[in-house]
Amino acid sequence: MHNTAAIEHREVSPPAPGALTITPPARRGLTRKGIARVLTMPGQIVSVLVLVVPLLVAFYMSFTDWSPTRGSLFDAGFTGLFNYEELLIYDTRFIYAVIRTLLISIACLSLEFTFGLGLAVLFMRKFRGKSVLFSAFLTPMMILPVVVGYTFWMLFQSNGPINQIVTYLFGAEAMLEWFKSSHLAVLAVIITEVWHWTPLFFLILLSGLNAVPENPVRAAVILGANPRQVFWRVILPMLKPVIIVAFVIRSMEIIKLFDEVFMLTRGGPGSSTETISLYIYKLAFSDFQLAYGAAAAFIVLVGSLLLVHLLLTPVRDELLEGSH
Amino acid sequence: MEPKPLSLPLKLVMFAALIIVLFPVFWITMTAIKPPTDWNASPAIWVPSEPTFINFKTLFDPDAIREYGVGGVSQSATKAVFGSLTASITATLLSVAIGLFSAIGISRYSGSSKATPLIILSGRMFPPAAIAVPFVIIFSNIGLIDSYTGLIGIYVAVTLPFSTWMLKSFVDDLPREVEEAAMIDGRSRLMAHFTVTIPLIKGGLFATTMFIFILNWSEFMFALVLSYSNISTIPVQLAKYVTATAGTLYGVQAALAVLAMAPLIYVGYLIQGHLARGMTFGAIKQ
Repeated sequence: MHNTAAIEHREVSPPAPGALTITPPARRGLTRKGIARVLTMPGQIVSVLVLVVPLLVAFYMSFTDWSPTRGSLFDAGFTGLFNYEELLIYDTRFIYAVIRTLLISIACLSLEFTFGLGLAVLFMRKFRGKSVLFSAFLTPMMILPVVVGYTFWMLFQSNGPINQIVTYLFGAEAMLEWFKSSHLAVLAVIITEVWHWTPLFFLILLSGLNAVPENPVRAAVILGANPRQVFWRVILPMLKPVIIVAFVIRSMEIIKLFDEVFMLTRGGPGSSTETISLYIYKLAFSDFQLAYGAAAAFIVLVGSLLLVHLLLTPVRDELLEGSH
Repeated sequence: MEPKPLSLPLKLVMFAALIIVLFPVFWITMTAIKPPTDWNASPAIWVPSEPTFINFKTLFDPDAIREYGVGGVSQSATKAVFGSLTASITATLLSVAIGLFSAIGISRYSGSSKATPLIILSGRMFPPAAIAVPFVIIFSNIGLIDSYTGLIGIYVAVTLPFSTWMLKSFVDDLPREVEEAAMIDGRSRLMAHFTVTIPLIKGGLFATTMFIFILNWSEFMFALVLSYSNISTIPVQLAKYVTATAGTLYGVQAALAVLAMAPLIYVGYLIQGHLARGMTFGAIKQ
């Protein structure tokens, strides 16, 4: 193995005369750079073709008044920043959708984190059937969002099982019309999301907890810390990178919230559960205001990139370096 | 530290959580085997009076449900199932193949380009709604709208960051020395990857393939906006399911939902140890 290291080294700087006692095998094939290029080329082509090009088209379009009836994209009238101005200043439906998406995100992330951490801590204990229960608790995250949305739509029906339980506990007058009240509809969306994605937090936090080194914990115990102090002062700070990664990944996903809401409420009643994605979808694909929708999409894109950038800063190196 | 056993109150908490986690799955499965009389009963029926597979049968034979005196389904789900299988499997294989090359490229030659991994990762931050709009326009101009080719193209693009980063984490776990040893034996660098790297990450490759399949199978929005009459997928069919005569066919819809989720739950259990790795782009390992 030492010899291989020497060969690797040879490429970078010429060896001192006489330093090598063996002759390296003749190189065949491509150079390092060539291989790197060949290997990453397909991925780059796909990314450019299917992500960069559409984004440039959307960016161009967002400054026009193009709609499908106007024919070619080049026939569109250039309207400058009109779409952006309209969205950011006058379109209250858009502004509310942004605020609503952020509020839903905050509610979901904090609940998912709390429940996920609670479960993960439970799973640090010893009990029978642990591996079966572990699998069972992961089930929700394996189910398609559309199916989750549909299932919860059925659960929340006025004559559905959730109302049956509510009625059983609080009497018939307490029965809830989940999809007729704007507050309850938002609550239904949050409950659905939390059910669906708490397992991800559970999974990530559990692997984080399992990786916590024993020595600092032992030291704290020897120094007289009680279990609560050990958890809050020793274990939790060591989990910080894992927690940040979990939050970043989940917030990236939840900003795009669409499938579940589409199945649950289609944004209703009124526009009370409209998320950003759902609003853009309606703009572009029911109202055919494609240029306006593109502008909205761009605002969201820039906003979410900024948000992710902010959240990611403390862990960027770890995420990029992987195991190194 | 020696793990402590669960106390009784904690056991109860765990039990309650388990009920909450499994109840929706129980409910959709029960609905799928309910006869039409039980579908929309008030109050809801928890366990079907006479379990039946008629809902599943109706999915592929729209008139089957008529024996219960209920109007048939307007559309058979055959096309959607075929569409989901075609699009998901093709896109998964392409995404994993391209991702595998990129992963080796990034993991082993990262000195060459620091930007590549970030460019690929940034694809994940775009809200689908943001790219769906230009896609529909471009695709209608080049004739890819309402075609599987177009849908597969998008699926590959959307899942590529996941396959690249997940596979990268497996390649990272492999010591470089194994490839160098193969090169000592006279293989070229590229051949060393084919003969050594790829066989050694077989398990990871399988997990990644299954994970990407889950993502593709679950995709909804692109399929929804790109499909008109030629193509369909299960999630789109589920969203669109309306009957010719009756209101909503709960049981039939539930049957399709069960059909859609069953393979994913199975595949998910197979790779449960790697789910976190996939979701977090390799940052979290189990």
